[in-house]
Amino acid sequence: MTIEPTVPFETVTTYEGTDAFFALHGRVENMAAFELGASLDAVIDRHPRSIELDLTHLDFMGPTGFVALANAEKRLTEMGTKLTVRSPSELVNRLLSIMEVAEVSRLIGQALSDSGRLVAEQLGEMPALSLRGVQVDPTDEFRKVTAIPADPDVVDGALRLVVELARALVEGADGVSVSLRRHGRLSTVAASDQVVMKMDADQYATGEGPCVDASIKGHWFHAQSLDTETRWPVFTPQARGLGIKAILSSPLMAFEEPVGALNIYSRQAAAFDAKAQAAAAVFAKKASVILSDAGAGASDTQMAFRFQEALQSRTVIAIATGVIMEREGVEKDEAFADLLRLSLYHGEPLRRQAEAMVRSSRQPEQGPASGLDD
Amino acid sequence: MIEPALDVLDAFRQEAGLSHGELWLRYFELGGMSTGFELEALLLGVLAPSDHDHDVIAHALNERFVELGGNHPVPYSRALNAS
Repeated sequence: MTIEPTVPFETVTTYEGTDAFFALHGRVENMAAFELGASLDAVIDRHPRSIELDLTHLDFMGPTGFVALANAEKRLTEMGTKLTVRSPSELVNRLLSIMEVAEVSRLIGQALSDSGRLVAEQLGEMPALSLRGVQVDPTDEFRKVTAIPADPDVVDGALRLVVELARALVEGADGVSVSLRRHGRLSTVAASDQVVMKMDADQYATGEGPCVDASIKGHWFHAQSLDTETRWPVFTPQARGLGIKAILSSPLMAFEEPVGALNIYSRQAAAFDAKAQAAAAVFAKKASVILSDAGAGASDTQMAFRFQEALQSRTVIAIATGVIMEREGVEKDEAFADLLRLSLYHGEPLRRQAEAMVRSSRQPEQGPASGLDD
Repeated sequence: MIEPALDVLDAFRQEAGLSHGELWLRYFELGGMSTGFELEALLLGVLAPSDHDHDVIAHALNERFVELGGNHPVPYSRALNAS
């Protein structure tokens, strides 16, 4: 590692009545992030009615800078103060939108809701910190929402960001890592420190542990206390030897297949309560979306299989739609709507409903498998 | 046309834990005709979906929510509810 030359970083705060304007210049990384956090705290302490954060002149922001922003946003949300972000650079904007920093901190601050609708409402009220709230012209928006390119630097950077944010925001987390299966072998692609790296490596070497199991089985593994843990007899003593007492591994999914795990380690037994588990789930989901967008994990054969499945489903739905068009004398979209209503009525996936419809059309004497009564 | 802010669909996508690519595959599976790029525009409300497209997207998301143990949180078009 070379030591980077000192790049000036400064913040400029101005007030207009009770509205604060906070501008960042230069690069926010390492020490500058602490300075940023302290400066933001100082502004927040004056209880402004709103804060506008101007990132127009920002050259770079590292993970620690995002953590400072996320913390500030959390405080502001608690105080009911409005935060808006002005014209972030393309890269900053993209990372903010990948992470939905505001959403993450908000979800952690509240009990997680199972209802998609409720979460959608929360998203609707999100301050303009993320892409969703930033008002730009549609063509610009269009360009920015394209999937993250499968550029390993961007993906690894985004995963490192997930690790930093999870360590800062999941209560009880002393270390966090992301393991990924690449070419059939697990490896650590992002880790908060050396102990965590070692923890992961020990699991790969012994072939056991919550990280290995979560990566293969695709569900959660939570070791509440390694003092009483019995599932991983070889790995557990090694972890205890490094002072780790609790581990929470959440699977990372890409194209609905487990491809790795988000691992959170603690030096305290029973460190991860329900809130911490919910927060871990949010971060695992974020990392999964990043990986899926990058096409990680899915091999060509897996993709080809999925695509073939999708084509078969499409075909059977098209045939079923044709059957309804003929039977009911309706147009294609109306026939599809009929099929969809049937699927909802019977609580069957659309594809199953379509298969039933196609079967029924082959046996006209038995009538339709499920009636189009209306 | 659907009344609420159209990027609500993208919020549902995020809640369902689906990437744009995964949702596109599911949408395609149900007969959706738009490209991945167009689908993103529909999700974010940059392009307005037809009732038919909206219902295909909504159903792709709802089938995912059902797999996750939920109900059908994404509303369908008025046309679908009408008859």
